[in-house]
Amino acid sequence: MNGQIMINIWINEERFEKMREAGLSGMAQDMLAGMKVTRVKVSEKQKDILLSEFPMAKFDSSTTGTIELLPRKVKDEIFNLCLEKKSTGEDVIEAFILRVRNGRT
Amino acid sequence: MKLTGHGGKEVVERILPGGMAGSIISDMPELEVDTQTAHECIDIGYGFLSPLDGFMGSEEVDSVCEEMSLPDGTLWSIPITLEANDDTIRKKGFREGDEILLTYHRKPLAIMKTGEVFQLDADRVAGKIYGTSDPKHPGVRRTVSRKGKSISGKVILVGEPEFQPPFDRFWLTPRNHFSLYRDKGWEHVVAHQTRNVPHTAHEWPMKYCWFAANEDLSVEVPHTGVLVNAVIGEKRNGDYIDEAIILGQAELANAGYFRKDTFAVSFTLWDMRYAGPREAVHHAIMRTNLGCTHHMFGRDHAGVGDFYKPYDAHSLLKQVREQLNIKPVFMMENWFCPICSEVTSSGLCDHAATAQNFSGTLLRSMLIDGVQPTRQVMRPEVFQTVQAASDTYGFGSPFVTDSYLQNRGNVFKLADPRKEVSP
Repeated sequence: MNGQIMINIWINEERFEKMREAGLSGMAQDMLAGMKVTRVKVSEKQKDILLSEFPMAKFDSSTTGTIELLPRKVKDEIFNLCLEKKSTGEDVIEAFILRVRNGRT
Repeated sequence: MKLTGHGGKEVVERILPGGMAGSIISDMPELEVDTQTAHECIDIGYGFLSPLDGFMGSEEVDSVCEEMSLPDGTLWSIPITLEANDDTIRKKGFREGDEILLTYHRKPLAIMKTGEVFQLDADRVAGKIYGTSDPKHPGVRRTVSRKGKSISGKVILVGEPEFQPPFDRFWLTPRNHFSLYRDKGWEHVVAHQTRNVPHTAHEWPMKYCWFAANEDLSVEVPHTGVLVNAVIGEKRNGDYIDEAIILGQAELANAGYFRKDTFAVSFTLWDMRYAGPREAVHHAIMRTNLGCTHHMFGRDHAGVGDFYKPYDAHSLLKQVREQLNIKPVFMMENWFCPICSEVTSSGLCDHAATAQNFSGTLLRSMLIDGVQPTRQVMRPEVFQTVQAASDTYGFGSPFVTDSYLQNRGNVFKLADPRKEVSP
C-alpha cells in the first residue's frame, strides 16, 4: 500500500471489450489468475464522503488501502464513468459524488 | 460399533430415549440459553466435545487455562462454560443437585443436573486462552461479554434437533460420520475446517492433503477421504452466509472436481473463538471425535488480525502431538503463480516475486461485483451455486447482512415434547 486510496473494479471479458473500445485497456491490470482489475483513485476527502453515503462500505487501511463492500450498482456506475471520462483518476469519483448528491444514482 | 474419540475415550451420545422427555421435564425450572450454549449442548449431547459430558466447573476451567488439560490430564484447550445472569439464578434459586430444563427459543433443549455455581474470571480466562485481553479480539469480547455466573453440570438432550433445508442434507452426528467412512471404505480421513465458500486455493490444498493423508494405503480403490467440516455458528456482518458455504463446498463434488467416493461435506455447530493456536487444538479434538485420522492446518489457522504469528498454531500442535489421536497436516501459504500457471504452495514454487495472492478481500470484492471469476480462481459451478444461494437464502447477497441476521431461516428447530403429554 503506497498511501493512495483506491477502488478496485473487476474486469471481465465484457468490460474489457468496452475498455478496449474506449482506448482504456491499458488501465486493466492482471490481479489474480487471469482476473483483471482497474483501480480508480480516491482522495481522502472523497473516501470519507463515500463511507458516509454508503455505510456498509469499509476502508481496508491495513492491507490493500482500498474501499471495499460498495454496492454492485455503485461499482457499475463508477465503471461507466471511467469509460465516459476515459479516466481512472479522482475526477471520476468527483463526478460520481456529484451524481449521488443530485440524486441521480 | 464402538466409537473411539479424543483421548482414546468412547464417544457417547447423551440423548433421552424418544417419548420419555414429556413427563420428565414438565415441572422442571427452566433456563433459557443463548445460541452458543445451545450449540454446545447439542455438541455435548452427540459427542462432538467428547469426553465432556457437561459444562465445566471452576476446577476444570482452571485446569484448561493453566495446564491446557482436563483435571484427569486429557488434553483440552478451550473452556466450555454456561453463563446465566445473577438475577435469573437468584429468582430461580438454582442449587447444586437441581435438575434444570435448558430451553432455546423457549423450546426444551436439554436437562442439566446443576453442579457448581461460580464466578468465572473472564479477564483471566481471556488472557490465558487468547493470549491477550485486548477487546479488539472477537474471542476476548465474546468471553468477557458473557456476564453473570457460570453453572456447571452434566447435560442430556431431551430430543433430537430437526435440521432445516439445506442443512438437513449435511447434518451428521459423530456416529453418522463413523458410519459414512465405513460405507465408503475410508481408512484415513483428512478434515478440512472451513467458514468459506471454496476457491481454488482451498481446493488445491485439499487435494494435496488427500495424498498426504493417504500415506502408504493402496490407491487402486480409494481408502482415504476428504471431509469438509464447515463450522456453523454465530454470524457477523460480512461473513459468508452458511448456506453458500455448505452448498458451495458440496458443489466441488457435484461438478466432479472431487470424486464422490473421496469427498464428503458435513458441519459442526461451533461458535468460533478465533483463539488461534488453542482453537487449532480444539478443532483437532472435535475432528478426532468425528473419526478423522488427519487434519489440515493452514497458515494462521483460526487466527484473527495480527494477534498470532502465521505458524503459532503449528507450533502448539507439535508440542501436544503425543496427546492427539489425529495427525496434523501442515500447510504453508498458497498462491497463484502465473509462471507455473497453477495454484501452488510457497514451499514449492520459487517464483515468489511474481506470485499472486488469494486474499479474502479480493474474492469478496469479486462476488459483490457479481463478476464471475476465472476457473483458476473459483470453479464456475461453485460461483453459480453461491449466486443462487445468495438469491434463495441471502436476500441477494452471499454475505451476511442485517436482513440475513434478522430474517434468515433456522438452522435447526426443536420439538416441544411437553405438548405430547396429555394433561
